[in-house]
Amino acid sequence: MRTIGYERPETLDAAIAAYSGSGSGSRYIAGGTTLYDLMKLGVETPTHLIDITAIANLDRIETEGDVTRFGTMALMSDVAETPAIRTEYPVLSESLLKAASQQLRNMATVGGNLLQRTRCPYFRAGNGVYPCNKRQPGSGCAALGGLDRSQAVLGASGSCNAVSPGDWPVALLALDARVEIIGIDGQRTLPLDGLYRLPAERPEADHNLNPGDIIIGITVPKTAAGRASTYHKIRDRESFAFALASAAVAMEIEGAVVRDVRIALGGVATLPWRARQAESVIVGRTLTRELAVEAGRAAFQDARPGRHNRFKIDLGVQVVADALMIAAGRNVR
Amino acid sequence: MTDSPECAAGGIAVTRRVVLGAGASAVAGPALLKGHHVHAQPVPTPSGIENPLLLSFTVNGSSLELDIDARASLLDVLRERLGLTGTKKGCDHGQCGACTVHIDGRTRLSCLTLAAKMNGRQLTTIEGLSDGDTLHPMQTAFVDHDALQCGYCTPGQIMSAVACVRQGYASSPESIRDFMSGNICRCGAYVGIVAAVAAANSSEG
Amino acid sequence: MSRQPFPDLARIDAFDKVQGKTKYSSDVPFPDLLHAMTVPATIGKGMVTSIDVEHALAVPGVVRVLTPHDTPPPPPGPQGSPPPPPMLVHAIAYRGQPVALVVAETLEAAIEGAEAVRVSYALEPFAVRFEDADAGREDTESPTFGDADAAFATATTRIEAIYTTTANHHNPMELLSTTAVWAGGRLTIYEGTQGSNGLKNTVAQLLQIDRSMVDVISPQIGGGFGQRGEVPRHTAVVAQAARLLRRPVKLVMPRNQIFHNSRFRPHVQHAIKLGADANGKMISAHYDCLQQNSRRGRYRSDWYHAGPCKVYGIENYRGTSGDLRLDTHGPAQMRAPYEHPSAFAFESAVDELAFALGRDPVEFRLAHDTKIDASTGKRLTSRHLNECLTRGAEQFGWTGRPVQPGTLKAADGTMAGWGVGAGVYQAAMHPAIATLRVSANGVTRYASAGHEMGQGMRTAIAQVLIAGLRIDPARLTILIGDTTVAPQHSTAGSWGTASSVPVAVAAAEKMTAALAELLDGRKVAGNMHEQLARLRRPFIEIEVSMVAPGQGPEHLERLKTGGMAIAGLHGTYPDFTALSYIAHFVEVHVEPHTRRIRVPRVVSVADCGRVISPRTARSQVQGGVVWALGAALREISETDPRYGGWLNADIAEYHVSVNADIGKIDVSFIDEPDFDANSAGVKGIGEIAMVGAAAALANGVFHATGRRLRTLPIRVEHLI
Repeated sequence: MRTIGYERPETLDAAIAAYSGSGSGSRYIAGGTTLYDLMKLGVETPTHLIDITAIANLDRIETEGDVTRFGTMALMSDVAETPAIRTEYPVLSESLLKAASQQLRNMATVGGNLLQRTRCPYFRAGNGVYPCNKRQPGSGCAALGGLDRSQAVLGASGSCNAVSPGDWPVALLALDARVEIIGIDGQRTLPLDGLYRLPAERPEADHNLNPGDIIIGITVPKTAAGRASTYHKIRDRESFAFALASAAVAMEIEGAVVRDVRIALGGVATLPWRARQAESVIVGRTLTRELAVEAGRAAFQDARPGRHNRFKIDLGVQVVADALMIAAGRNVR
Repeated sequence: MTDSPECAAGGIAVTRRVVLGAGASAVAGPALLKGHHVHAQPVPTPSGIENPLLLSFTVNGSSLELDIDARASLLDVLRERLGLTGTKKGCDHGQCGACTVHIDGRTRLSCLTLAAKMNGRQLTTIEGLSDGDTLHPMQTAFVDHDALQCGYCTPGQIMSAVACVRQGYASSPESIRDFMSGNICRCGAYVGIVAAVAAANSSEG
Repeated sequence: MSRQPFPDLARIDAFDKVQGKTKYSSDVPFPDLLHAMTVPATIGKGMVTSIDVEHALAVPGVVRVLTPHDTPPPPPGPQGSPPPPPMLVHAIAYRGQPVALVVAETLEAAIEGAEAVRVSYALEPFAVRFEDADAGREDTESPTFGDADAAFATATTRIEAIYTTTANHHNPMELLSTTAVWAGGRLTIYEGTQGSNGLKNTVAQLLQIDRSMVDVISPQIGGGFGQRGEVPRHTAVVAQAARLLRRPVKLVMPRNQIFHNSRFRPHVQHAIKLGADANGKMISAHYDCLQQNSRRGRYRSDWYHAGPCKVYGIENYRGTSGDLRLDTHGPAQMRAPYEHPSAFAFESAVDELAFALGRDPVEFRLAHDTKIDASTGKRLTSRHLNECLTRGAEQFGWTGRPVQPGTLKAADGTMAGWGVGAGVYQAAMHPAIATLRVSANGVTRYASAGHEMGQGMRTAIAQVLIAGLRIDPARLTILIGDTTVAPQHSTAGSWGTASSVPVAVAAAEKMTAALAELLDGRKVAGNMHEQLARLRRPFIEIEVSMVAPGQGPEHLERLKTGGMAIAGLHGTYPDFTALSYIAHFVEVHVEPHTRRIRVPRVVSVADCGRVISPRTARSQVQGGVVWALGAALREISETDPRYGGWLNADIAEYHVSVNADIGKIDVSFIDEPDFDANSAGVKGIGEIAMVGAAAALANGVFHATGRRLRTLPIRVEHLI
C-alpha cells in the first residue's frame, strides 16, 4: 500500500468539493471494511481518502410515514436491531444479522454495503498471479474455467463470473428499494436494480455511479409483503460466511392466494438478482411446497453452471422454495 | 505467573510528538514501563513516515496524541507504536476477530480500522478491561470455564463476549454462538466460551 | 505417586491470557526495531532471472532489500541427515516461496517496499494437483503380515472402497513470526516454535555460526498443531537481515503467504479391502495409501498404517503406500497427521463392513478386542478401547439405534443419524532434563523441555509439582520453550505430557529427599520455603533426568547436543506396544430440502492413561473434535492447476469451524495409568482427540441419509 492523504470533511458539499479538487486517486471512505481491506490486498490503490463519517445526520433511520429511509451512514447493526425494522421488514434485519460478524456489522454502513465488492478469490488474491478483468481490465478471467464452486450461475459473461456477495442489497431488492445519490451534478434517485451492472462489458465497473457520487440514503416503501418477508441463506458455516445461495422473499397472501410477491437471489448471480420468472409462477395461485419448488426452478431456468457450481442451482431451487414457505407462514396471523 | 523474557523496552522517554495527555489515571515517564500496563507505552515516532498525521484519541481512559502514518491500521498503531500488544493480529483482513476492541463502546475490528479515523474517539482494549488487579467478570468466567487454550484469540473473544452480555445476546446458547461467531478459535474452545459467556451473563443478570 | 485423580485446577497461564498479558513472539518490544516483509514468488515453478530493488529502496523508510545474493547457500548437513532448508534462492520450487526480504523503519514502509520489488522469472512447467502428477508413484515398504490375499479369498463378507482426504492447512490463530536480535555476538530468536532446539540448530547451520551462539525463546505459542514443528525458511533470513543491519528485525508473515510457506496435510487416496469370516470376525485387511508429496519431500507415506494395522488385531494385513510428487512446498505433520486421514478411511470401511454383516457398529468393534499388537506380536500395555466404546454408547444413548439408515427423523423432516468412530495413537516419550530450585524467599523455579501451545503443558507440570512439593503455587515459575534454561526437544506427536510430567515428578521427589536430608530428622514448621528460611538456606536446587523405556545415557546425550531421541514411535517399545484410544459418537442432522448438515452433539471417551490435568485434557479433546468436524465438513485447501499455489489462502475462504457450527461435546476419560509407558502412567491426548471423529461423522451421515460419502470434506453439494 502506497502512502495516502486523508481528510475528514464535515459537510457533503465539502466532501464533494474535496473529491473534485483532489484528482482521480480519491475515494470516499465510511466504515472501510471493504475499501481498506482491498487496499491491503492491492486491489484498490487510492492516493487520497475522504472520510465521510463526520458529516452530520447521514446515519438516521426514519421509520415514520409510508416510506422508511435509511441514512447511508446507519450501521448495519443499528438497522438490524431497530424494532420497527424487525416488524416492518423481517427480511432486512435477517439479511443483516446473517451477514458478516457482529464486529463488522458495527463498522459497515448500509450505504457502503451496497458497494461491497466480490469475494471472487481470483480477484482478491491477484498479486500478479491470476488474470482478472475486474482487477485489471482486459487481462482475462481466471475464474472462468477455474475453481468456480463459489462463482455465479446467473448473470455471468464471457469475461467475468464473479458473484455479488451481499445479503442486504438482495433483501432490499425484494422490497423495491430506491437509492438517493448526491454528486458533482446534484442529487438524484435510482431504483436499486438500476444501481448494478452486469459484467457483460466493463466488468471492472460494478455499478452505475459517477466519479464523486455519494449514496446518501435508501428508501423502502411499507407494504404488507414487507411485513411477511424473510431472508434465507445457506453457507459453508452456520455463521460468518458468504452465501452459497440465498433468497429474499416478500409476499402477501390474501385469502389462500398469493397477491403480491418479490423474490431476489444472493450468492448465485453477478449482481443482486431479481427472480421475476419465479414470481410470475406463483402470483394468483395458492402456494404449496410443490408450487414453491416450481417457482424455485423458474428462478434458475436461465442459469448456466460452470464446472463445480452446478449444485448451486439445485440448492438455490430449494432455498427459494424454503423461503417462500417461511414467508407464507408469516402471512398467517 | 509468566516467564516471558524481560523486555528491553526501557529508556524510552516521551519525546518527538508522542504526548500523553492528562487522563485521570495517566502516569507519565518510565513508571509506565514497569510490569503490566493498561496504558500505552509509546515508542518514538519512527523515521520514514511521509506526511505524518497527528492523531488524538483516548485509550483505556488516557488521552493520547501521536504522529501516525495515514495508512496505518489501528491494530498496528496499538501494537507497534503504543506497546499495547494484547490486541492480536490473526488475519489482518477482518476474518478472525482476534483484533476486536471497543470503539465508543462497540466492538470493532482494529485491523480494518484506519487509525486516522480514531481522532476524538474512545478506545478500550483488553488491557483496559480489568480494574487494576480485579478481573472483569468475563475474564474470570473464561478462566473458570477454560474458555481458551493457546490464548491468542482470547482477548478478542473476551471483548466480544463482554458486548454479547451487555447487548442482551447471551440469553441462549444459540444466541451466544451466533454473536460470538466473528471470533475464530482454532484450538476449538467454543464449548467453554459459550459456557463462560452464559455464566457471566447469569452472574451479572 | 498417589493414584487419586488430580484436582480440576484452572489452567495456570489462563490469568495472563485473559488479560492480554501473555507475550507471544511478535509481542516482545525492542528499541530500534526494524520491520521486515517477504516478497513471494508469483510463478508456480522456475528461476528468478532478475530482481529490481530500485523502486523498493526509493520507498521512504526502507533500509535494505535482501535477495539471494545476501544469504549464504545452505551448507551440507551432517552425514546422513537432510540439508537444512535454503534461505533465499533463485530456484523457485512453488508459488509463494520468498524471493526477497524488505526491511524498513516501519511496517507500512516494509509492506510498500515489498510490493515495489520487481522480479523477473524464467518459467518452467509444473504440476500441483494429485490428478495431474507428471510421474508415477514412488512406493515405500509398508507393514505387511499374515496372508491377507489368502484370507480375503476365504472371507464370506467383503467390502472394497476408495476414500479420499484432501489437503488441509493448520491455521493456528497466531501468524508465523520471527524477531531476531544480535547482542554481543549472540543471536536470540523470538519465534513461536514447537521445536526450539531444532530451530537453534538449523539457524546456526545456515548462518554458519556455532550453535552455542544461538538462543531460541518460545515460551508461548498461539497454536501449533504441527505447523510450528518445522523450521520455516524465513527464520534464518530474518536473522541474516538483523546481522547485516545490526538492529533487531521482526517479520510477521501475512496469512496468505503462510498458506504457501507453512507445511500442510497432503491429499491422500486410501484404497481399502476388508474381509470377515462366517463368524463376523475381520480376518483380512488390504490398505493402500497414496499421498501427494513435494519433489524432494520426506514426509513418509507408510505411516498411515500405524493405526489400522494395530487397532482391531486383524491377523492378515497387507499395507502398501506411495508418493505422487508435485510442485508444492513439502507436506508435513498436522494434528493427528497420519491417524486422522487413515482413521477416516479405515473406520468408514469398518462401518461399511459392519453394515454389510447386519451388525451394530459398536458391538462389531467391541467384538474385536485384542491384547496383542498384530503387527509386531508384542503385548498391548493397556487397551481400554472397549471401555471407551461401552461408556460412550451409554452416555450417548446408543441403545435402540435402528440399524437401517434413513429411519431417524425429526418432526420437521430433518434426517438424523448416529455414527461411531474409534482411534488409536502412539504413546511416545522423549528424554528430558529438569532443574528445580525451591527458595527460602517463597519462589520456586522449574526449568525443563517442552513448548506451551495451548495444550496445557505448564498446567500439567504445575499439577505434579504442587502435588509433590509443599510450595507456594502462586510463586511457581515454569520455564519451558527456552534453549537458555534447559535442552529442548520438539514438542509434537503427543509425547509432551509423557515427556515432561515424569521428570517433574522425579524432580519433586528428589527435592523432597534433599530437604529431608537437610532437615535430618529435625521438626521444622512451615512449607518448604519457610523451612529453608528457618534453616537459613537460601535455596535448594536439584537436577534430574529421565529417559523412556528401553533408553539409556546415549539418548540423554543426544538431547543435550540438540538431537531428538523419541521412544515409542507408533507405540513400539522394546517389550510392548503402548497406545492411546478413543471412541467418538456423533449425531448428525441433515435438512430435508437444502441438505444443510449440522452436528448438535458429540460424545467422546478417551483412554489417554493417567489424566494429569483434567481441565486442559478435556479442552484438548473438545478441540480435537472441533478439528475433526471442521475437516469432515468444511476444510479443504484448493489449488488451481494452471497457476500453482493455494487459491483459498485466507480464513474467509478456508473455512475453519466458527462457534455457531459447534454444539455439545461431552468428554470423559477412562483415567487408568499405564505404568509400562512411563512412571507417571501418561499416554497422550492432543492427537488421539481428533482420531476417528471424522469417520464417526461420515458414518452418521450414512445413517441419516443412506448416502455413503467417502471423500472429505462432506458438503451440501454431496447430499443435494
